[in-house]
Parts: sequence; structure tokens; C-alpha cells
Amino acid sequence: MNELLIIIFAPLLGGVLAWALNVRGIRELLGVAGAAVPLAYLVKLYSELDASGQLSHSIDFAGFTFSFSLTHLTWVFAMIAGVVGLASTIAMVSTSRDGYEWLFALMSLTGAYGVFLSFDLLGFFIFWELMTVGSFMMVLKYSRSAGLKYFVLSVVGAFAMFLAIAKIYALSGSFAFPDVANAVYYAMGRGDLALVFGLFLVAFGVKAGMFPLHVWAPDAYSETNQSYTAMFSGVLSKTGVYGFILIYMLIGYRLMVEFGAFRSAPKFGYIIAFLGGLTIIVGGLLAALQEDIRKLFAYSSISQIGYILVAFGVGTSLSIEAGIYHAISHALFKGLFFLIVATIIYRTGKTTFADMGGLAEKMPFTFAMAFVAILSLAGIPPMAGFVSKWLIFEAVISQNLPILGGMVFFGSAIGFVYLIRFTYAVWFGQRPTDLDDTKDAPLPLAVAMAILAIPNIVFGIAPGLVVKELNKIFGGEIVTSPTLWELNLGFGRYNGLLILVWLIVGLLIAAVIYFLGAPVRKVPVTDTYQSGNPVTMEYNLTIRRNFFLPLKEALAFWLRISFDKLYRDIGAWVEDFAEVMRNYVYNGNVQSYAWYLALILLILAMWGV
Amino acid sequence: MVDWRLYEPLINFARKRSMWIVAFCTGCGGIEMPPLMTSRYDLERFGMMPNPAPRMADLFLITGYVTPKTLKRIIITYEMQPDPKYVLAHGSCPLNGGIYWDAYNAIKHLDKYIPVDVAIAGCMPRPEAVMDGIKKIMDLIETGKADGWKRYKENYEYYKKNQDELFGEGWREKTARRWIPWLMGREKKREEE
Amino acid sequence: MIETALKALFILLYATFVGFMFMGIIRIVTARIHRRVGPPIYQPILDTIKLLSKKSNITHGLIYDFGILYAVGATILAVMFIPLGSIGVLRAYGDLILITFLLEIPMLGIMFAAMSSGNPYAGIGAQRALLTLLAIQVPLGFAIVALAEFYGTFSTYEIVMAQQTMGWSIFHFPLLLAAIAYDLVLQAMFGKEPFDIMIAPGEISLGPMVEFGGKHMGLLQIQHAIALFAETLFFANIFLGGGVVTAFSSSILNTIAGLAVLLVKQVAVLLIATFMGAIFPRFTIDQAAKFYWKWPTIIAALGAVLASL
Repeated sequence: MNELLIIIFAPLLGGVLAWALNVRGIRELLGVAGAAVPLAYLVKLYSELDASGQLSHSIDFAGFTFSFSLTHLTWVFAMIAGVVGLASTIAMVSTSRDGYEWLFALMSLTGAYGVFLSFDLLGFFIFWELMTVGSFMMVLKYSRSAGLKYFVLSVVGAFAMFLAIAKIYALSGSFAFPDVANAVYYAMGRGDLALVFGLFLVAFGVKAGMFPLHVWAPDAYSETNQSYTAMFSGVLSKTGVYGFILIYMLIGYRLMVEFGAFRSAPKFGYIIAFLGGLTIIVGGLLAALQEDIRKLFAYSSISQIGYILVAFGVGTSLSIEAGIYHAISHALFKGLFFLIVATIIYRTGKTTFADMGGLAEKMPFTFAMAFVAILSLAGIPPMAGFVSKWLIFEAVISQNLPILGGMVFFGSAIGFVYLIRFTYAVWFGQRPTDLDDTKDAPLPLAVAMAILAIPNIVFGIAPGLVVKELNKIFGGEIVTSPTLWELNLGFGRYNGLLILVWLIVGLLIAAVIYFLGAPVRKVPVTDTYQSGNPVTMEYNLTIRRNFFLPLKEALAFWLRISFDKLYRDIGAWVEDFAEVMRNYVYNGNVQSYAWYLALILLILAMWGV
Repeated sequence: MVDWRLYEPLINFARKRSMWIVAFCTGCGGIEMPPLMTSRYDLERFGMMPNPAPRMADLFLITGYVTPKTLKRIIITYEMQPDPKYVLAHGSCPLNGGIYWDAYNAIKHLDKYIPVDVAIAGCMPRPEAVMDGIKKIMDLIETGKADGWKRYKENYEYYKKNQDELFGEGWREKTARRWIPWLMGREKKREEE
Repeated sequence: MIETALKALFILLYATFVGFMFMGIIRIVTARIHRRVGPPIYQPILDTIKLLSKKSNITHGLIYDFGILYAVGATILAVMFIPLGSIGVLRAYGDLILITFLLEIPMLGIMFAAMSSGNPYAGIGAQRALLTLLAIQVPLGFAIVALAEFYGTFSTYEIVMAQQTMGWSIFHFPLLLAAIAYDLVLQAMFGKEPFDIMIAPGEISLGPMVEFGGKHMGLLQIQHAIALFAETLFFANIFLGGGVVTAFSSSILNTIAGLAVLLVKQVAVLLIATFMGAIFPRFTIDQAAKFYWKWPTIIAALGAVLASL
């Protein structure tokens, strides 16, 4: 059997076996093996890929030819799926409840692998749906309404993609990517092109969580096994991101020729980038106002995807490379965050900020991991999150796009804001007395977190590792990296190692001054200045609810505009309309149905059929 | 480690010239503070600043009479200050009760509860008198005689006994708990709304 | 290696010393505006010595200590990246975006330490500081964008060099707009009135600083001094032409003259902030946010758009 097929189907096989056997211990082993095998094969195939540039395989099934291809681009995305998928499944050893979760979690992983490796639209579509079904079932088990919302929007996206694919197939007569790209370039009309672009935008925008199609994500991300959400947000949203690259690959040239450019960005790309910028702002602001950890990170995930969309929209090879870098670091830090959330929920059983506080002392390892993730997401050098954000900033601003530049700047500040809210409410301050015997992360979760935390640091200090791979995608030195530690864009330079070294020097200087001073005495949290009033643990010393109340008040006008509500209203209208139809048209009376039939026959006869 | 005795004159100079005041006006003498801090007398010449947080403050001004209720806060705030810390009692009342000598609800002798480094007599002492007191405490710091914080540590049992005699054992928790029903009631009311 | 270490040591000592002098200048100038005599200029150094030599210190846990160290370390890191006349350790890597981020990181460390103390005042101060950060980020971002687009490079050092031939940034209209916006932002970065609601001494007892005492506060004073130096230096570099002097034949004289030129520019920036701080009362947090999201944003965005044309 071909390696590519093993990569794609190993998780599904593991999942089915785990579900079928459903013996505690064995099913975990099978599940983790199902996620580990593809990763091992991807690592193994790397040298082969490096030599040949592309590995392809195709099979004939049911009259169609499905072709799969591993290129440098797909290898990078598949590695994201591999690493985050493995970490997520290892974490599921602690948090999963039964074989059902293993089956569908791994099914969606198979779908993601299939999406990344497919080299034709049909296979792409089928694996896309497989992934959607798997993730939908995972959400459905935890919350019906969140699952349905996710499903409805996914169906909208799937139909959009289906129509676009049908349109393309009608034109080209083939599903294979090269044929499609050729046919679109030479034969597609202006109107059709715009239609296909719009449909793809909806299809991929739904999965990536692009504003205004993001409304499913906060519910779906939060209402499922949080270990799985690491994969959901880390890998599955990346398929949407990968879809945007596919737009470039399949119809990008033609769109560029047909619609021209706005400043230096292609016009169609500017639409993506602008929506991405709105996604950053909307997602970030809403994240800051959430009262539930899971919701906060769901919105934050949306916000971070916005960066990737901005980068892809700008459309230069530098910006796309920056976007892929951010896709990698987003998968790493956001996967890590959701594992941390999984650990917190696993150990405390609570999800709202109001019930938490002071956990840093009780869960030092988890806090250390959270610290890494916070630094990475907030874009603190030298972390992977900073390097990718830095690349995006430089890529966007160097193209003379000031409005987008302002948007990404705002995004980095709002990232600070919601992360501090998380840090404050969960790790610091006064600890509710019922959390006094909270234990640190169980081993599987700890291992999973470590798997994701280490690359977060390494890819920030040694960005050359990643950039070397990403340069291969474009076949040129997009970002020169003279040494492992250094990036050079010509108009800006970054050196991770130097930052690390000097940060350590600075910390040492500070530490010398610190340790020369008198020794410190540890005081309890109640020994704190309260205008001279004595306090006990019965007092609430932490701002647990509505932390950013002034922000909420300042944004009150904008917060009333909700796309979620709009969609709900549309849903309600559709329901009302259906009700009217049921009452007056489909009223269950055979006689009236006979009348309809006669009427239609009459109309047909008048048309002369 | 490093022998800091060599630098003791410098450190004492810094301590003397950089006294941050706890901005806690315990009595009527608080009204003397604005002229002291503003352009007429300008205490900032000597590096003194009113400081709202006791954790980084050095000088505690007891400005006027002390009631038991205030004394609780004074003790808590005083204990929060890091060593070395100095107390300047201001006016007659902290010394002997002043015009409240027979009041049921005024502390007659403050130095039974916390050590006082310098006391200024008068009712009220004028800003000049306060500045004289500050000059005095500066001299004491330079010569190392402002050792109220040391005395508080060494004779903690004595001060604790006096405090407990006045307020009863465990007065900190009791004072803290006193407000909990009221706070809870307010919380409940807010939730009901 | 040794040369780099010596340069770094010089930058560090110079930045700390001048930063302390700046703090003294702020206090003296404010006092003179109030018609007071004011403290001696070396007062902040005395304060710091006193705080560091406190004989008892408290801690609320590991993060409480580490946050402070992190703030100081990150500030030292930031100052190394900004070109200081012709002395530079890491100025080749002094990227605009990097420095902008690095100047914000110390606040993150302070917030971590403050929040780990569990004091409600610190919590509310952190909230206000973050909202101020959010408010200033928009004009700040546009100002940086305007600079990068005008000069076509992100390197601070190259921007300084470009200004030697093209004239100071503020003499170009788009960058003048950016400089005005950045100067308004600087007011909040210094924590001066009218944007000092985050530390509001009277109302929330210095907010984030409420639990710091002794050596923690001493370290924060050092951090504040270096940060003050770094922020004014950054502004003087990117908008006021930096401090490149080539008039003398001796390179040492040139360096000293460059430092002197920079110092004058930095003090000018500082005095503007001090004057503004001394005459304004305090904005509440929503007023501050609305102010920053209105005029400075419009000015800076206009500058960015004009610069990109």
C-alpha cells in the first residue's frame, strides 16, 4: 500500500478499531497509534520528498481517479496536522469518555490529512465532508444546538464549494488540480470567475472562521472535548486556511489578470485581507469580553486566523510565506492553549472565570506551559508567535497597505488584553477555597502540552528551521536566513538567538540587583493593602466578572450588531415561512395536492411541453 | 555577601532624604498636609512625597487624634510597611489624648500600641512645627537613632498585649468578618436586580 | 566580544543614569510649574537606593518576583536595540516592529507581578493599563506604519541615516502627522497626566504598584528610568533625526557630540510631556480610549495614507 494512503487512512483505521473494540487501555493505544503512524511516515517521507520535490499516487475508485500528492506545501500542512493531531490524541487519553470520541476525532483527522494531500477537487471535497462529519459528531455529543449551528453553516459552506466545483467541472471536465488551473486560466468568463471566487470564499471562510461566517466557532470550539478542540482549532481550521492557498493555486492567476490589483495587492486578495482584518478585530474584542475560558480561546482562535487571512490576502510570496508561518505557530500555541483549558477543566471541572483563581501555585507545570503559550500568542520575542506576526507586519506594511497595517497592530494589542484577562482570572489572585486540593496535569496531558510547547520556543529562537522549509514551497529565497537564528527581509532583520541571549543578560543583571537586596518573606494573599482594612479569605479580592466593563461600555453600540443574531433571525424567518407553506400549501389534504398536480400539468401544457 | 556597613552613611543619607509618607490622614491634622506639600512649604525639597501605598512608604504621619477604629487600620498599615519605617505623631492627642483626655472613644497613649519615633506637641502644630519634627526625624535617621521599627520587633509581645487588651483577641479576623454580612447582603441585592 | 560587552555596559550605565536624571527633571519642572522649589535632580537615585536597601521585603509568590525581573530584563533588551548615536550593540537588528513590541513587554511583566499579588487595586489598575494600551495601539500602529512606508525600511538605524540626507522626519508632512500622534501616545507610555488613570494615586493607590515595596519597587524605579530613556531615545531617533555627528575628525569627539545632540532632543521630548502632564487633569479610562480612537488615530491614519501614496 502506498505511504500517502497510509498517512490518510491510518487515523481512521485506528479510530474504527478503537471504537469497535472499546476496551479501556487498548482503545487509547490504538487511537494514539492511529495519530502517530502518519506523523512517522511524514517524517520518513521527508528525505524522499526533498530529493524528488513531489510524491504522487493515484487510485481509481468508482469510476473516478483520485490523486494524492505530497509537495513541500502539503508536507508543511500535513506536519501541522501530524504534530497537533498527535498531541491532541495523547491528551484525549486523559479526557476522552468512550470509543465514540476516538472514532470521530480520528475520522476528522483523516479528513484533514485527505484535504491536505488530495490533488483533485473531488477527493478534496469528499475528505472535506468526512472531516466536517467527524467534527460535527464530536460537537453534537456535547451540545445539540452548537452542533446544529456548526452543521448548518458547514452545509452552507459545503454547498458553496459543491457549486463551485460543479461550475469548474462543467468547464474543464476534470477534477485534477493542474487541469482545473489550466481550464480556469484559459476558458473561464469574468462572471463565472467572480461567482466561483465568491463560492470558494464562503466555503473556506466558514471552515477558517472568517468574519462574518465565524459564528459557529465559539460554540463549536467550546462545546466539545477540549483536547479535541486543540485539533479542531489547530488543524481543522487550517484546512480552511489551506483552501485560501488553493484559491491562489487554482484561480488566482486568472483573478489577478481579470480584476487587477488594489495598490500592490490583488483586488480579490484585498477582499480576503480586509475580511481577515475585521476578523482580527471582531474576534479579539469579543474574546476580551467573554466570561468562559473556552469561549475566550474560541474567539481568540478566530482572531488569530484573521492574521493568516490578512497575510494571504496581500498575495506576495513573502506574505503568503508569513501566513503559513503563522498557521504553524497558530496551530502550536492555540493547540497548547486548548490543552491547557482541557487540563483546567479536567482538574477543576469548572469553565467560567468567576469560579477560578490562584491556580498557578497548585498547577505549576500547567502554568509554565500557559506562560509559554501566552508569550507566544501575545507575540513576545523570542517566541514562534512573534516571528510569524513580525513577518506578517513586515509583509503587509512593506506593500504600502496602511489600513491593513493598522488592523494588525490593533490585533496585537487586543491579544495582550484578553490574555491578561485569562492569566489574571485563572492563575493569579485569590484562590476559591474549593480549589485548594487541585492537582497538576495528568501525565498524558502534560506530555501533550510539552510536545506543543517545545516547538513554540524553538521556532522562535531558530526561525531558520521553518523558513528553510517554507522557502522550498516557493522555490526561492523569499526570506533569506543566513544562519539558523536569523531572518533577513532586506528591509528588516530578526535574530532570535541574540534576543534570547540579551534577554538572559538583562534578567541576570536584574537578578543580581534582586539578590543583593534583603531576603523576601512570603505573605498570604490576604495580607494585602485594602485601605487598611483587614481581609479574610471570605472576601472576594479578584475581579472575577466583567473584567473589561469599561471596554464593554465603550463598545456598547457596536456590540448590539451581531451576525449571530442576524443568522438566527434569518433562521426564524425561514421557519415562519415554512410554517405558512405548511398551513396553506402543504396542508396534507390529498385533494389540494391533486389540484397542484393539475395546475402544473396545465402550465406545462400551455408551455407546449 | 557584600558588607553593606561600608555604604551605611550613603544609605542613611538616602533614607533621610527620601521619606515617602503614607497618605493616611487619621485626624484633624490632615488639613495641615496640603500647605506642607504645596508651594508654601514644599516638603518635596527634602524628597518627601505622599504615597498612597504603604508597601513602599517609610514615614507614617499620625495626624491628630486616634480612635480605636482608626487604630486598627493604623496598626495594619504600619505592619505592612517594610523596615525601616518611622512614625511621627502629630499634635497632642496621640501623646496624651489632648482635648479628648476624658473621651471614651479616643486613644490616650499611642505609643502603647505602636512605637513613635518623634512626637510634635501642639493643637494643631503649625506646618513649621511639623517641619521641625521632620528635621528631627531626619537627624535621628542619620545617627541611626530612629529605631521604632526595631523596638516594635523586639517588644512585639508588649504591643500585642496592649492591642489585644483594647480590641480583644483575634480582632483582625473579627473586624474583617464584621463586614461580610453587609457585603453579602449587597451582593445578593445586586443579583436580585 | 569584549568591545561589545563594554559598549553594552556603557549603554546600560548611561541609560540608567540619564533615565534617573530625566525622572529628576520631570519632578523639578513640575515643581517649578507649581511654583515650588522641587527636589534635587538626583532625588530618584536616592529613592532607589533607599528602596533597594529596605531591610524587609515581601513576596506573593514566584511570579511576583519573576515579573519584576522580567520587566527589567526586557527593558534592558529593548534599550540595546535602539541606536544610541554611533554606539550600537544590536542596532543592526533594531527593527521598528521589534522595538515597538519590546517597549510594551515590560508592562506585561509588571502586570503579571501586580496581578499575582491578588490585590483588587492591582487588578483594576491592570485592567486600566491594558485598556490604555489598547487605546494607544491604534495611533501608535498607524504612526509606525507611516514611518515604515515613508522610508521603505523597518530598520531604525537606516531611518536615522536616511534622515541625515533627507532632513528630519518631522519636516515631511505625513511624518509630522505621525509624530504628533506618536507624541500623544508617548504621554500614555510615560504614564503622565491626562492618561495616568492606570496608576491614579489617590483613587486606587497606584493601581498595579500598590503591593510593590522595597527592592521590588527599587527595581521598578530602575526599569522606569531605562524605559523613559528608551522611549525618548526611540522618538528622537525616528522623528528628530537621531544623533549622528560627523563634524569632528576624532571619532570619540563625534560620539560625544552625537550623545549630546541626542540628549538635547530627548530632553525636548521629555519637557513637552512634562508640560502637558503638569497642566492637565486626569481622563477617565473611557474618555482616554475615546480620545485616542478619535483625533490621534485620524491624524496618524492620515499620515500613514499620505506616506503610502
